[in-house]
Amino acid sequence: MPLWEGTTAGLRVGRPTRLSAAPLTELRRAGLPLILAIAALLRVWQLDRVGFNSDEAVYAGQAGSIAHQPDLQELFPIFRAHPLLFQTVLSLGYRVHLGESFQRLTAALVGVATVYLVYEVGRLLYGRRAGLLAALVMALMPYHVVVTRQVLLDGPMTLFATLTLYLLVRFVMSRRRAWLLAAGAAMGLTVLCKETSTLLLGAIFAFLALTPELRVRLRDLAASIGVMALVIAPWPVSLMLAAPTGTGESYLTWQLFRRPNHDWLFYPATVPEAIGPLVLLAAAVGLWLLRREGSWKETLLLCWIAVPVVFFLLWPVKGFQYLLPVAPPLAVLAGRALGRLWPSPDGKAVLKPRRDRRLGLAAVAIVAVSLLIPTWERVEPAQRPDTFLAGTGGVPGGREAGEWIEGGVPAGATFMTIGPSMANLIQYYGHRKAYGLSVSPNPLNRNPSYEPVSNPDRAIREGELQYVVWDAFSAARSPSFSEKLRGYVDRFNGRLVHTEALPAATVRGKKALRPAIAVYEVRP
Amino acid sequence: MSRVALAVTLVATLAGAGSAAAAESGAASQSRTPIEHFVVLMQENHSFDNYFGTYPGADGIPHGTCMPAGRSSPGEGACVRPFHLGGRAVPDLGGNGRTHRIQYAGGRMDGFVRAATIDRQTAQRSVMGYYDRRDLPFYWKVAAEHVLFDRFFASAADGSVANHLLWLTGTQRGSRIPADGFGDLPTIFDRLEQRGISWKFYVEDYDPRLSFRAKGKANLSAQAVRAPLLNYPRYVRDRRLFSHIVDLEEYYEDLESGRLPHVAYIVPSGASEHPPGRVQAGEKLVRALITALSRSEAWDSSAFMWTYDDWGGWFDHVRPPRVDGAEYGFRVPALLVSPYARRGYVDGTRLETTSILKFIEDNWNLKPLAKRDARANSFVRAFDFSRPPRKPAIIGVGHRGRRPREAASPAIYLGYAAAVVLSGILLGLAALGPDRRRRRRSGGEAVGSR
Repeated sequence: MPLWEGTTAGLRVGRPTRLSAAPLTELRRAGLPLILAIAALLRVWQLDRVGFNSDEAVYAGQAGSIAHQPDLQELFPIFRAHPLLFQTVLSLGYRVHLGESFQRLTAALVGVATVYLVYEVGRLLYGRRAGLLAALVMALMPYHVVVTRQVLLDGPMTLFATLTLYLLVRFVMSRRRAWLLAAGAAMGLTVLCKETSTLLLGAIFAFLALTPELRVRLRDLAASIGVMALVIAPWPVSLMLAAPTGTGESYLTWQLFRRPNHDWLFYPATVPEAIGPLVLLAAAVGLWLLRREGSWKETLLLCWIAVPVVFFLLWPVKGFQYLLPVAPPLAVLAGRALGRLWPSPDGKAVLKPRRDRRLGLAAVAIVAVSLLIPTWERVEPAQRPDTFLAGTGGVPGGREAGEWIEGGVPAGATFMTIGPSMANLIQYYGHRKAYGLSVSPNPLNRNPSYEPVSNPDRAIREGELQYVVWDAFSAARSPSFSEKLRGYVDRFNGRLVHTEALPAATVRGKKALRPAIAVYEVRP
Repeated sequence: MSRVALAVTLVATLAGAGSAAAAESGAASQSRTPIEHFVVLMQENHSFDNYFGTYPGADGIPHGTCMPAGRSSPGEGACVRPFHLGGRAVPDLGGNGRTHRIQYAGGRMDGFVRAATIDRQTAQRSVMGYYDRRDLPFYWKVAAEHVLFDRFFASAADGSVANHLLWLTGTQRGSRIPADGFGDLPTIFDRLEQRGISWKFYVEDYDPRLSFRAKGKANLSAQAVRAPLLNYPRYVRDRRLFSHIVDLEEYYEDLESGRLPHVAYIVPSGASEHPPGRVQAGEKLVRALITALSRSEAWDSSAFMWTYDDWGGWFDHVRPPRVDGAEYGFRVPALLVSPYARRGYVDGTRLETTSILKFIEDNWNLKPLAKRDARANSFVRAFDFSRPPRKPAIIGVGHRGRRPREAASPAIYLGYAAAVVLSGILLGLAALGPDRRRRRRSGGEAVGSR
């Protein structure tokens, strides 16, 4: 008899956590809607107060191009680096004339849906209580809240990755081929959101390799991979049929050989804080204390976490949001551990005193508050620090500067900025062509999606560039290019025509308005 | 009356007089059309066919044109066909009254190659050369966005001196600058001064020392020819009038500070496009001037025109009409940029250099200077004042993004929708499978978790 047929014989499975009785029942019944409501609130609160950042502008611009928006079509080529599932969904907003709000609301909805799926995964693996607590952690987690408040591909990628995880769990539990095929399809959708998610295939294969007792028929596995390939097919096919520009291939080559954008300490320094130190602690402590109950479930979750983490620690290109797919399994592991702080009807609990509900409640409350405070600081723009990390939110003043350009600068004007980030914002909000000075003219050293301005001096002298934009965010990242840009302003009769000022901390610790974005006219 | 009261009365009187003068000046400067700022640039030495002979919709080079070669060298064909000049170096083909007579050939219009050959002693095929969109992308784009005139003639069948003077005075006074200047010949600026309408004469790379007083100095001829006011003793000696003649740099400063005068004449220096100079240098200058205007506050009430003093010896196929017993010069390119300009309009009204004076006189209700400008047609038809002004737009010639194929979107929608539908079907089939039914029957937790 096959190992998994009919029963769970041969597999060390975790102890099921069944609902405890009486007083908490009502709370648990209302728990999921409440958690989803909190998740939604945190993801839509003051959602539009700060405009898009560079990546959001690019994805929204691509969506506009797909929907044939004339102002965006000329500035944002549809085919850049990534597949287009999310951008295609966003393009529907343009079709029915919905604005920027639709795009961010869609991202927020994706975030809430992910919270729900985390609940389902937790419930399947460790019971309803663990599912609820995992969903609560996910709902409040600054990392997930911040990323799913933005029009980024990582949010939808994480949604479909969590769906894949859920379907895999269903397959392992039932061993029905249909779940494996559905998991293949969900994995395909994950890749259609962002191609970096192919890493999770490594996690799946690692899980299969580390769980020899789980025997999967090769033909089932092949069928699932075939389904995944079929679902992914629109990406390469539409590339080939519609725009054989080679940008996608160039982008891959560039990503493989580009210089590191952060050192290896980037993730250890940024992500644990964003996930929540107590969440990580709870997950780790739970794994240790419940190690005797360890089973394929933990193997699956740890593979899902370890493969992306190891890869991106080693990979020279790092982005704040790249590790988002590890958030759901971490939340589930934390939910599992927190759930065991309560006594279950059979009297089993992790900690003493076993029957003290207050301890469990206090622990959950502490974890929740430890997540809520940093989340609120990031959600409420008034609380934002005046430092900026790509992927952590919108660019203050960027939308306003772009909108001023749209209304105050002649159509057809061309801009030069310090880097491509501000250039993207000007293109999206200002509907004017913009070039980043820091984009290298050497194709080996630049993102192939970006166009360089090979000779800025000549371009200004020839009248091809008429405006120069300096911004504090890019200047902080590239002081040398900031200096160079200011040189062009001085040399070509730069005249300040617009400024966006933002509150910033002074040396004495007080707040004062400081120019963040400055638009100059230049002429030969 | 106390001293204080006297002082107050005096100040009030002066203030009243001042405000009255200002009001009078303001009233006088009011234009009859929405055009409150008229800027005109005079470039040099190109014919209409040389620049726009292949422009779609314009009266360009007729099919089958072949100009008799005149004294052809052995082995050369009997005629020269128009050809694309591209980046070829071109000589100064001349362009004076004598050249015009030979080329005009009593109305036969078949002496273009012959005239150049006589002057140069060698066959000059260049006369039949033309530029097109590839060489003049900005000019062609302006024509597509604003107004191109294809019946605009140089006022004099002569060279630069005559036509530049006609541009200011409506009067022809020979081909050379008189030794003592142009005397009391009235100019359009006299009329503007009388009415208190602001004006300036901008000169690229202006050297104030090079006027009629500085004969024999280097570059005198070029600057003095282009800026005829420098050959007027009264304009040079009167400090106030002389202060109206300024370097072109002030044009940009005036735009930035909101002090653009109502009427602005501009003449180039190195960017005049006069062969053998590069036409691209002129394009660059014109582009800078228009760009600066389009991003200034004056844009909404402005018009920018540029034309060419004479045809420069280049072929043009339209026989010039006669006026006052003398021919106009051959056609020259002329374009108008304005928020009120008709978009992509090719204006076939018969115009000439003094039409510029006519427009200024009509717009500010000024008395004509001479018969020529009084009889000239205005180009007011090129405007459409019934519509609100166009928003400013910088006319670019470069790359404006990679426009995706229109077919891209259907392919994307179809492909991605198919992927989602397929996934949905598989998910549905899995969800409706036997384990779900089993769970329903058992009413318990997930199978296999325990």
